[in-house]
Amino acid sequence: MSVTIQVWDLPLRLFHWLLALSVLSAVVTGELGGNLIDWHGRIGVLILGLLVFRIIWGFVGTTHARFANFFPTPARIAAYLKGQWQGHGHNPLGALSVIALLGVLAALVGTGLFANDDIAFHGPLFNLIDKSLSDKLSGLHALSFDALIVLIPLHLAAIIFYARVKKHNLVVPMLTGKKVVPKGQSIAALSVGIRRLLVALTISGVVAWGVSSGVQYLAPAQATSVAAMPSW
Amino acid sequence: MKFKFALAVLFTAVSTAAIAGKDEDQQIKFRQSAYSFAAWNCSKIKSQVVEHPETFNKEQVIAAANSVAAVANSGLGALYGPGTDQGTGWKKTRLKPEFFEKQDEVKKVAISFNEEANKLAKVAASGDIGEIKAQFGKLGEACKSCHDKFRIKDE
Repeated sequence: MSVTIQVWDLPLRLFHWLLALSVLSAVVTGELGGNLIDWHGRIGVLILGLLVFRIIWGFVGTTHARFANFFPTPARIAAYLKGQWQGHGHNPLGALSVIALLGVLAALVGTGLFANDDIAFHGPLFNLIDKSLSDKLSGLHALSFDALIVLIPLHLAAIIFYARVKKHNLVVPMLTGKKVVPKGQSIAALSVGIRRLLVALTISGVVAWGVSSGVQYLAPAQATSVAAMPSW
Repeated sequence: MKFKFALAVLFTAVSTAAIAGKDEDQQIKFRQSAYSFAAWNCSKIKSQVVEHPETFNKEQVIAAANSVAAVANSGLGALYGPGTDQGTGWKKTRLKPEFFEKQDEVKKVAISFNEEANKLAKVAASGDIGEIKAQFGKLGEACKSCHDKFRIKDE
């Protein structure tokens, strides 16, 4: 006998698919360049907001969203590899992938905010630092991207492996939030704390706004207005 | 006598070593300056056309576009002499060594920089913000294609 349980809450699922879409768009706009580079910058700020939300949700979200419940400690990984793991959310190996992906994306966003392309684009926090430091961070941005294009195929390959070999469909639960488990393993329904959700959304929104718009009050960009330019 | 001779040899060796990288460094310095100047002009176009179109000033944008085209048409290839993948101008060069092995590819990206910059100057003269913006994007793509192929990403 088996039962259907809820494993992923709605905010977490929205986060996941919005992040997937944003990362894809960021990769495409970053590779094409030209005028699309401005969209690359805007999407980067959106990803920043999503990451901040995910981190907060990792502390105040529902059971399987919380880092404490899935953080891949050596003991948990060892137990999983021996076949002794019996959870419903991210398994310890999947959790490694989650942490790695979030970490690399955080590095990409963190460096991208200060980066420049030596053409006509720079991240929203570029004015806070020296050009030479920005050049270094731009190099790290490129380096982190190399890590990302290893991790994403790995993530997709793992999903295919679980579907084909272990007969576990991981995509449907990420869409519906629901998962079928043996009867003895059923758990209580998840309940999203609305007040916690609002706080998480507000904080991530304020961070994204602060970085994209608020920062100009801290380090105003030099205006090249017509009036300021001498006639010669 | 022997001592004087040894001294002369040493002096010659030291001064040759010092001069050896000088011309390369000068080329690197000139080309870095050229691209910096182009970047300054591009930033003015971006500001007045893309970011704050309300500040658009036709004469200034024409001047900036003409300056970028002048840089592109100045014969920058002369600043990529053999050995200039090593050396320091205003800062260490990031030119990839394969630049010298893929001359066909180099020609392609160099010519596309010329063409897009000249088109931008032409479009700027029309004063049509939408067209300038579109062409400015194409110029950026030309810059990027060379950066992607022939510039070391991280220092």
